[in-house]
Amino acid sequence: MKFIIQRDTLISSVQDVMKAVSPRTAIPILTGIKLVAKQHGITLTGSDSDISIESYIPAESDGIVYVEDIEEGSIVLQARYFPDIIRKLPEKTVEIHVDDQLKVTIRSGNAEYNLNGLDAEEYPQLPQVNTDDSFDMPIDLLKGMIKQTVFAVSTMETRPILTGVNISLENGELHFTATDSHRLASRKLPISSTSLSFSNIVVPGKSLNELNKILNDNEETVEISVTNNQILFRTKHLNFLSRLLDGTYPETSRLIPEQSKTTIKAHTKNLIHTIDRASLLAREESGNIVRLATKGGELLEITSNSPEIGQVTEDLNVHAIDGEELKISFNSKYMLDALRAIDAEDVRIEFTGAMRPFIIRPENGEAILQLILPVRTY
Amino acid sequence: MQNKLTPSKRRIIFHIDMNCFYASVEMAYNPSLKGKPLAIAGNPEERKGIIVTSSYEARAKGVKTTMTVWQARKLCPELIIMRPNFNRYRAASREIFKMLAEITPFIQPVSIDEGYMDVTDVIQDATAIQIAQKLQQDILNQLDLPCSIGIAPNKFLAKMASDMQKPLGLTILRKRDIQRKLWPLQVEEMYGVGEKTAQKLHTIQVETIGDLANKDVYTLKQLLGINGERLQNRANGIDLRPVDPEAIHEFKSIGSSQTLPRDTTDEIEIRQLMHLLTENVERRMKRKKAAGKSVQLMIRYHDRQTITRSKKLQTYIDTKEEILLIANDLWQTHWNGEPIRLLGITVQEVEEKALIGKQLDIFTYENEAKKEGLYSTIQSLSEKYGKNPFQSFQQEQDTDQPHTSFQKDFLDDYKK
Repeated sequence: MKFIIQRDTLISSVQDVMKAVSPRTAIPILTGIKLVAKQHGITLTGSDSDISIESYIPAESDGIVYVEDIEEGSIVLQARYFPDIIRKLPEKTVEIHVDDQLKVTIRSGNAEYNLNGLDAEEYPQLPQVNTDDSFDMPIDLLKGMIKQTVFAVSTMETRPILTGVNISLENGELHFTATDSHRLASRKLPISSTSLSFSNIVVPGKSLNELNKILNDNEETVEISVTNNQILFRTKHLNFLSRLLDGTYPETSRLIPEQSKTTIKAHTKNLIHTIDRASLLAREESGNIVRLATKGGELLEITSNSPEIGQVTEDLNVHAIDGEELKISFNSKYMLDALRAIDAEDVRIEFTGAMRPFIIRPENGEAILQLILPVRTY
Repeated sequence: MQNKLTPSKRRIIFHIDMNCFYASVEMAYNPSLKGKPLAIAGNPEERKGIIVTSSYEARAKGVKTTMTVWQARKLCPELIIMRPNFNRYRAASREIFKMLAEITPFIQPVSIDEGYMDVTDVIQDATAIQIAQKLQQDILNQLDLPCSIGIAPNKFLAKMASDMQKPLGLTILRKRDIQRKLWPLQVEEMYGVGEKTAQKLHTIQVETIGDLANKDVYTLKQLLGINGERLQNRANGIDLRPVDPEAIHEFKSIGSSQTLPRDTTDEIEIRQLMHLLTENVERRMKRKKAAGKSVQLMIRYHDRQTITRSKKLQTYIDTKEEILLIANDLWQTHWNGEPIRLLGITVQEVEEKALIGKQLDIFTYENEAKKEGLYSTIQSLSEKYGKNPFQSFQQEQDTDQPHTSFQKDFLDDYKK
């Protein structure tokens, strides 16, 4: 195997697949990166068996040559050394050569590394995902949906299913839901281009976080394919494959209150800043508690109090307060996460009582929903 | 705050120690007991009936705390033995701390019958000795209770001083007196040195407080860890702890334990005891308006071997049912089937409810929401009439007797 490749292109591919490589893995060869050279291009693969990432570098694209002098073959290289070596090589191009004994020579300018490779035949086959049943969506919208939901997944292993985002596609509507049982984030998006339908597809939150990091905003669409235990996200040069979580995601739609007793309409940024200021005095050990009270007219009072530190009170003018008076306590971190996820100038918050979940939505729109369970103070 | 920020300033600390407190209170209630040998015992009928405290007349006959009733009677056949009346002691204690609070707000109750006060800032009009004399006389005249007062530049020395003269002692222990008054004492007599620590100290030829003061600090740290250095500092009269009026609020655990009338493997009996203990814990948590995040079970077997096992929880709990569930879980897991002598249940990582709140859960919040009407009614009434009007109810219930002198829950009552 042999090829000469543009170093910058190789660096960014290596960085992408490294997102899936874990130094601790049950299968030792997965601590390496697999390289496969074909006449049409080079494919790099990294995997921790939960997430697998393939990055493809075409030999030539749009008249630009990325890879030359290709002799086909494959090899696995130690992920602990390979990325740093490539990053620090002196010239713009890198030559990689592998002999029959799996000895790898990496050459750039006057620098030459001789490394021991591993047999690519030993590298596990990635699960095959049938891409016939798939749908396309713009990458920026997918990234948006991830960012608006994934923060709400549970970090506790007590209910493993809640560590994932529940994805469904029904009646041309894609729906992401995440909850750690104290708050819930939900985002819907119409997908017109498909008649595909699935539900209870639970993707680990960690996978979606990594996916969000490696998807470039400048690429156009991503193709998504789902099987019963894998989900594949495919862009022009990238395959991102994730295991799904086993089990049934709890029914959450009925948990969302349908009527409200108190409705507040507020400027999102102002509300974020006020709660952020109040949360400075909320102790994390006691649940970051901040209190909100309606004060008549269009005035909200936001307070926080830690006896050993002190207290803070701030009045906030909002656009409207309708319905019953309200006093409610909540975890300010959940509130800030939710408000920041709502990409809108103004928000509408609907309360049904101090002991019941409340809902935050953009002022005009139903696509995003953030739900928070309050804190019952004694 | 001032006394916390200026530890370098010379301070004047009192340690007030009530003399034979329970016996003295009984004598104040019933003056005919005065001058007679009197002992207060946990339970005169059962074997756990041990002497809790006794009057000086009984002590003169050799009666000592922790003796069994039977042993005490043998030494002093005319001994009068009474069951404890904790409510009387609490009431007396409350009055005492009120009197201290009239002198300075910097008072720190330590237990039902002792406390510290920092009088540094109140000695303009009178000397420390005059204040102490007046306080001692006032407590004696108004409550008919004797106390000893130690006067010193810090808490440790004040505590040692109050111990030097009883009853009705008034002892000043200055730093320059340490070598003469403190160092000759056996190390066992030093506050903070228990039986175990004393034994360890003897192995490195530390017999007196003076030996401890002059021992090389490295050896002490090897033997006792950080506490070795702390004890040596105290032996040299150094103790920077401020008198902290809030210290009594810093409860980290709330527990209850009880010895069985006899060693048993009878699970019904043990289960009943667990119910009783968790009830005690629940009541005391309610009184403190607290909830905890960890439950500890202590089992003492017939051979005195004692184990403690605990379980950490995700959320705060405060009800008998919740505590019992965890305690029983621990019991099922860790009891080895041998007869047990004592059982203890403690809730740890305790916080005031006002500070924690309970994060509701989307799958279970309905349980709380059902009570919402009740909570909001309480809240609106509280706003109308000031403090939660239902809290006084809880206080009324409190006439039930505390079971040991270690319960300090009421010690901040003097502020009310």
